[in-house]
Amino acid sequence: MTSSAARGVRVEDLEHSYGQEPVLHGVSIDVSPGESIALLGPSGCGKTTLLRLIAGLESPSSGSITIGEDLVAGETWVPPDRRRVGMVFQDWALFPHLSVAKNVSYGISKSTSKDTEVSAALEMMNLAGLEDRMPATLSGGQQQRVALARALAPRPGVLLLDEPFSNLDTSLRIEVRTEVRELLADLGITSIFVTHDQDEAFIVGDRVAVMRNGQIVQTDSPQGLYHHPVDQWTAEFVGTVSLLKGEAASGFANCSLGSVAIDPQLNGSVDVLIRPEQLSITAGGDGEVQSVEYYGHDSMIFVALGDDQIRVRCGPLVKFNRGDQVQLQFTSDQALAFRSD
Amino acid sequence: MTRTRAPRELRTIGLIGSLAFAFPGLYLIWRNFTSGADPLGLLFDTQTLEPFWRTVRLAVLVSASAAALGTALAWCTTRTDLSFRRLWRVILPIPLVFPTFIGAAAFIRTLNPGGLANDVLGAIGINETPELRGLLGAWLVLTLFCYPYVYLPVAARLRQLPGSFEQSALILGDTAAQAFRRVVLRQISGSLTAGTLLVFLYTISDFGAVQLMRYDTLTRAIESNYLARPPMAFALSLILLIFAGLVVLAERAVNRRLPEVTSRRISQPVIYALGRWKAAATLLVGGTLLFGVIAPSAALIDWAADGLLRTQRGGRPLTINFSKVVEAATNTLTSSVITGLVALLAVAPIAFLVGRYRDRIGHVAHSIVIATFAVPGILIALSLRFWTLKSGFFGDLLYNSMALLIFAYVVRFGSLAMGTALVAVKTVPDGLHDAASTLGADRWRRFRSVDLPVMRPGLLAAAGLVILSTMKELPISLIIAPIGFPTLTTRIFGSFEDAFVAEAGIMAVVLVCASALLSWFLVLRRADHL
Repeated sequence: MTSSAARGVRVEDLEHSYGQEPVLHGVSIDVSPGESIALLGPSGCGKTTLLRLIAGLESPSSGSITIGEDLVAGETWVPPDRRRVGMVFQDWALFPHLSVAKNVSYGISKSTSKDTEVSAALEMMNLAGLEDRMPATLSGGQQQRVALARALAPRPGVLLLDEPFSNLDTSLRIEVRTEVRELLADLGITSIFVTHDQDEAFIVGDRVAVMRNGQIVQTDSPQGLYHHPVDQWTAEFVGTVSLLKGEAASGFANCSLGSVAIDPQLNGSVDVLIRPEQLSITAGGDGEVQSVEYYGHDSMIFVALGDDQIRVRCGPLVKFNRGDQVQLQFTSDQALAFRSD
Repeated sequence: MTRTRAPRELRTIGLIGSLAFAFPGLYLIWRNFTSGADPLGLLFDTQTLEPFWRTVRLAVLVSASAAALGTALAWCTTRTDLSFRRLWRVILPIPLVFPTFIGAAAFIRTLNPGGLANDVLGAIGINETPELRGLLGAWLVLTLFCYPYVYLPVAARLRQLPGSFEQSALILGDTAAQAFRRVVLRQISGSLTAGTLLVFLYTISDFGAVQLMRYDTLTRAIESNYLARPPMAFALSLILLIFAGLVVLAERAVNRRLPEVTSRRISQPVIYALGRWKAAATLLVGGTLLFGVIAPSAALIDWAADGLLRTQRGGRPLTINFSKVVEAATNTLTSSVITGLVALLAVAPIAFLVGRYRDRIGHVAHSIVIATFAVPGILIALSLRFWTLKSGFFGDLLYNSMALLIFAYVVRFGSLAMGTALVAVKTVPDGLHDAASTLGADRWRRFRSVDLPVMRPGLLAAAGLVILSTMKELPISLIIAPIGFPTLTTRIFGSFEDAFVAEAGIMAVVLVCASALLSWFLVLRRADHL
């Protein structure tokens, strides 16, 4: 099965509110054809609303949305049934009264090739043989695949996914998101997908747009986000950090770890943010191990150093116990730092 | 989430529909003050007050006994080690399928000379068969056929109630009786008052049973006055209407103050060993079934078989005119099926306005339809009958017509369909519409391919409930049915004056069987799984 030509999505200055409650404020984002974008943010940040606005399930207070060459919201209004976007819902919203095949064929217009298109969509999602089953008789993973097959069957130019993996249990979720990433890449379809899970956003998104309080605070590649977050909140949201108070002068910050390289443009009081993997730990020193969390593939050691608590990531072999004296060493080129207020 | 506004046409239809529902009640009130009589004077006349007090007395007695009997039966079958509990649970709701006037007729006939009970009692040497008449007769019949209104919700509630509540009470030192009073009763009180309200409302609106038992309540006084003295009938109707309204408001007020109920069934229910009380409990259940199910069934079958067996019993042979049975059954079937469909069409737009669009007009319309639940059938019949006599062209057009009969039935039973239809509308999740939209379905296709199929079972149940009630309806059929349109209920009821013709017995069996069948599919089968 081939996808129809992927279309880009351009959102400009979007505003939206439910009654008096503003939900989105000045949101702009440009998604290129074939690109996969993750909308990442805590619950209530407006990410699902943005997705529903793009689908046409809500209409914005102001601003515009363009899909491909067509303006769909703004000066004009195109209802959802004529936008040719596919959508996978958080609860999958499979029609309970229709079989798997009928669910998948729902969005395909009547044509002679309808049956082959349905078979192709089912084949692609490894659902062959389940055509006549009712949704209620399927497992969570199968339902998820039916929802995806149904959204893809009409060959939409854009695919929207609203927390598509959140109803699956952990092991299945990890398996399915890898499958979906490969599928979307193979199809070359434009996809926008909502999640509150940073791992998921980094795995599936070519780029990640971080949302907070109805605004997009940063749009970047996963690596760019992780290494160059625009502010402290984003740094903490996309990964673990330890916060150290420091004094900056000529490219170095003086903090409890000693002197650490930072952005040379910063001066005065700063918050230095250290990722757990930017440190190495050795026995003997003025730090004291407070606790050890063992995860199997690696481990996290919580160290008290002066007034700070610092997290250090170690391998699966932990040599330290609570109460041990340790020495911490900053091993990276430069640490994240922001002016403290 | 924002919702699309309700289409204007739907709001208009809903509004018009609800006005139609309100019309009979409002017309009755209006006529009271324009009929030239002195309604306030009549209200305090002994001729109106006496039937009123009889109605109150009967309703209080029946409600109290039905509440006690229904609760006792529910407790015995869900909380004790009574034998054959599962069987009793299936059989105990059965009296609900007897229209009360047929139950009353069965009792009266079986005790009359030629009746089964009369023969049996005669055979064992008792020639003075007791007569069932007046308050005692009406009370007994209404209690026997109305207790399931209490039994069903209370038994369902008891089955949901976590056993840990009672176990805690027992561990803290309560006896079974104390635990019932201090814990269980508080938890079932909502179901108990709701069920008792149904019994109370049913009793004050009942016409057939009190008529057959010759107990002069408001409904009977209205029926006997409406031709000769309309102003008197209007005054009596106003009292009945106000009384019904007050009862519903009182129940709402009580129910609001009741404690929140817990319905998570976590632990197994407590089962009490009856011990030496086992015989008493068995007698209670057995006695109820004997008088509420077995006796009326036997009496009806005996009555129906009468025509065939008369010659063998030494009477003169009877010719049974089966075409009369077929005619009445066909009329009942057509009128009730049409009523079911029309009622569904009338309440569905309102259910949509409320359930889908949370529309303000919809909420008003919904309240109006639900309020008609309290309006006794005889008042709707009276109101429409007088309206057609008064209102010139339209009245002439509708007088004695099938359309008027259907309209009266719909107003009477539309409120039953309302609740079920609303639940059906709410069973369609918003997400399904969103999914259908993004797959390219417009409003009409969404309605056809998503709403209708998902709502279908609920809508069918709503229509079924209306059909079931319409089949059994008596006063509206008596007063409004066009001449030459006999229904099963009017024929059976009329036969009381004709010394119980055998055809009526057959019709009664047909009606009870049809009612039993529908009830099983619609009410009892579900109620048992609550």
